[in-house]
Amino acid sequence: MSNSIQRVRVQSAYDDLQRRTLSGIPCDFARLIYLASTRDYNSGLYHHEGLAARYGVDEARQALQNTHREIFCRLVSLPLEGLVSELETYVRMSHEAPVGFIHAWEELEPYRVAVPMEVDSTMVQLFLSNIRLALEILRFRQEKDPACQPVASLQPSLGR
Amino acid sequence: MTVYLTLGAAAAFVIFVLLLKAGDQESEVSAVGESNYGNRFGPVNGLQPAELAIRIFSQKDREFILRTRSSRLQRLYREERRKVALYWVRRTSRDVSQIMRNHRLRSRQSSNLNVAVEMKLVFLYVQLRFLCGILLVLIQLLGPHVPVNLAARAGELYQRIGRALSEVGAVNRAAPPGSIAAS
Repeated sequence: MSNSIQRVRVQSAYDDLQRRTLSGIPCDFARLIYLASTRDYNSGLYHHEGLAARYGVDEARQALQNTHREIFCRLVSLPLEGLVSELETYVRMSHEAPVGFIHAWEELEPYRVAVPMEVDSTMVQLFLSNIRLALEILRFRQEKDPACQPVASLQPSLGR
Repeated sequence: MTVYLTLGAAAAFVIFVLLLKAGDQESEVSAVGESNYGNRFGPVNGLQPAELAIRIFSQKDREFILRTRSSRLQRLYREERRKVALYWVRRTSRDVSQIMRNHRLRSRQSSNLNVAVEMKLVFLYVQLRFLCGILLVLIQLLGPHVPVNLAARAGELYQRIGRALSEVGAVNRAAPPGSIAAS
């Protein structure tokens, strides 16, 4: 297959992914976690059944990888306040009690696996550092106002 | 007079120790950074080096944390940002040294060196390394928010070195085939 045809197919897969899947997820942080979950831990390769069937395995893989990097970059570019809002929305979506969620995330640091491969290492350091800070800010808010409970969401729970 | 001299000598000693310490920790950056992805001058997946510097040294984030009025958060924030800022400076410094070393090796085999461009490169390189040294000292002594303009300047210099290197590449590509062998 020529390069230009492959590029068009990757672009179509990318558009499809944005339109059908990612537009239904309410925040970039949840999108990042979703995209990381389509990646095999052992090989680092992405897979999405529907996209692969429609556009080809390699094209779907490329589209997922590009989108994953793009969203990661968007999150790194956000001011800390914006990232805290993203994380707050994600906590609500998870349907977990915020205290338990924050504790688990601080202990296990699952957000580390959400980082795409082949991105600049300084961006990775900044992202991980900002998530640690955002979790601490959420904990602080929780301590100040323990009555604050997550709002039920109609969105599917991505963390499960 | 003696007091000023003593204070000056003490300050110089502190700066010297900090620079030495920074040099020691550079290998730490290599270990973390090496797996990631070589050198880059252009957008890092959408962020220019100068933009990344502004994000790291952001005043907006600092103000957001100050609004919480929590000393615990402020302390954590200072510590986290200090680490990232130092990482960025050391990495920038290490990357640019590596790039210039490679460029020097390539230049030795080139028959049509553009002296003006080479001089410009050396000038930018010296400026950037000097800025990185100052940034390291300022971040260690005063925290990550004091040198925001210097950091942005370092990011710009990094990009300018990238542009100058592309000019050199274009000149070398334009050289007639066999000109290196013939020299």
